[in-house]
Amino acid sequence: MLNAPEPSATGRHLTAALVLVVALVLQVSVANRLPLPGGVTPDLVLLTVVALALVYGSLTGVVVGFCAGLASDIIPPADHTIGRYALVYCLIGYLCGMAATEMDRRSVVPFVAVAVGALAGTLLYAITGMLLGDPRASWTIVARMVPLQVFYDVVASPFVVWAVLRVTRRYERADKGARHDRFTLPAAKYRAMSSRGTGL
Amino acid sequence: MNDTRRTRAVLGVLIVAALVLITVDYRGGENSPLRGLRDVGAAVFGPVERASAAVVRPVGNAFDAITDAPDQRRRAERLERENQRLREQVRANALDAGRSKQLDQLLHTAGIGGYKIVAAQVISAGQGFEDTVTLDVGSSSGIRRDMTVMSAAGLVGRVTRVGPATATVLLATDAASSVGARLEDSKEIGIVQGRGRRGLGDGGSTPIKFQLLDANAPLRVGQRLVTLGSQGDSPYVPGVPIGTVERIDRPEGGLSRAAMVRPFVRFTSLDVVAVVVAPPKSDPRDAVLPPRPAPPPTAAPSPGASGTPAPHRQQGKKQKAKRKTEG
Repeated sequence: MLNAPEPSATGRHLTAALVLVVALVLQVSVANRLPLPGGVTPDLVLLTVVALALVYGSLTGVVVGFCAGLASDIIPPADHTIGRYALVYCLIGYLCGMAATEMDRRSVVPFVAVAVGALAGTLLYAITGMLLGDPRASWTIVARMVPLQVFYDVVASPFVVWAVLRVTRRYERADKGARHDRFTLPAAKYRAMSSRGTGL
Repeated sequence: MNDTRRTRAVLGVLIVAALVLITVDYRGGENSPLRGLRDVGAAVFGPVERASAAVVRPVGNAFDAITDAPDQRRRAERLERENQRLREQVRANALDAGRSKQLDQLLHTAGIGGYKIVAAQVISAGQGFEDTVTLDVGSSSGIRRDMTVMSAAGLVGRVTRVGPATATVLLATDAASSVGARLEDSKEIGIVQGRGRRGLGDGGSTPIKFQLLDANAPLRVGQRLVTLGSQGDSPYVPGVPIGTVERIDRPEGGLSRAAMVRPFVRFTSLDVVAVVVAPPKSDPRDAVLPPRPAPPPTAAPSPGASGTPAPHRQQGKKQKAKRKTEG
């Protein structure tokens, strides 16, 4: 690779950016058009932010969350106040990044983090809407949507987290070429745990 | 992580940035200085969405076919199994044939109303609470803000933002959308409002609410609604069918009466739509509404009646029914 001298910084940024763009496009052109019962769809971007934050830690989580949120705010069908998703995803990225350090100790953490992240993200977004007097975020709509949304997010989370891990792992393998490196990062630990933790 | 102080600093800065963005965009409203940012978004992500829609469309249609199957089986029990298998086969194999049929119907509907249209395809849908979609046509196809969007069945929404190759449409079901509407065969007018993301009302069957301005005006279940037409035919042109009154809410001492409306358009599976680029020369009134649905047909029409035209048959049925009640 071109960025051989500094693989962990540039490479991870590129990977994160790529994963985010793919998640965004999949979100608007596939996920949002699925005719799922209840008219609600899983928030792939939120799940991607959570997964990236768990892999790379809170600093990357914050930055990734902000960028993903800003992109969600301006990607074509978006029609809400710019900055709402940026704020929400930024906070979620931070919170889940904090959980990344806990992950070394407990294998349940990633699953709890995804569920909590989904709940907190959906709620926070609804609250910003209410604060701004958005007619779409009226209580009746929020009360019906949030539980379903969280449910779908939790259902979709293993797939998204798995995909993000696959991509980041491939990058690391290609970059370092050595297998023993995988266990030096907390991220690698998470991978090892998550692959074995599915049975719990 | 080791550098929490740095992380917190970055978090603080970015939160402030997000709050500033929200404030600026919210205060600016329609003329927000951040509109430019959305234009950038449309220019960057528009082509990507178009490309991905082209790749993803067959997948989505296959998914549609799968999810629609049980629904249709339930709804139309009398349809024979074979018929359905054939339909699914047709749907899966000849996607383009279906699309061209939709286009034909679209042209037919637009022709009756005298609307000049640009056909478009839905390529993506909005996230979170908003009910918006992106179309694969933009300013290069002559699309401008506040144009009406319709499908062969009826009203879809209006264009709120236009990029070079994409346009964002606010659907009529969105909670922020309100459309002037008129009851068919009368001059009673009211406002049609969306009830939130993809029709959460009544399990999704009535995602639209109609508020009649005159509380004493007659309003019946089964009456149909068309758009009233905005001033200068923008954002809504007159005469576009909206839906059928499904349920009337009991008045609660309000100044207006409300009814739940079942739209003609299936908002969950929008595909081929049209942007009305030029309004009709004269108000088409109720002309664009589909013909009144015939009373449910009997299971098997008698061979003798098959040659006679439909109205006669209906009359005959009515007379028969009358005779029965008399006797």
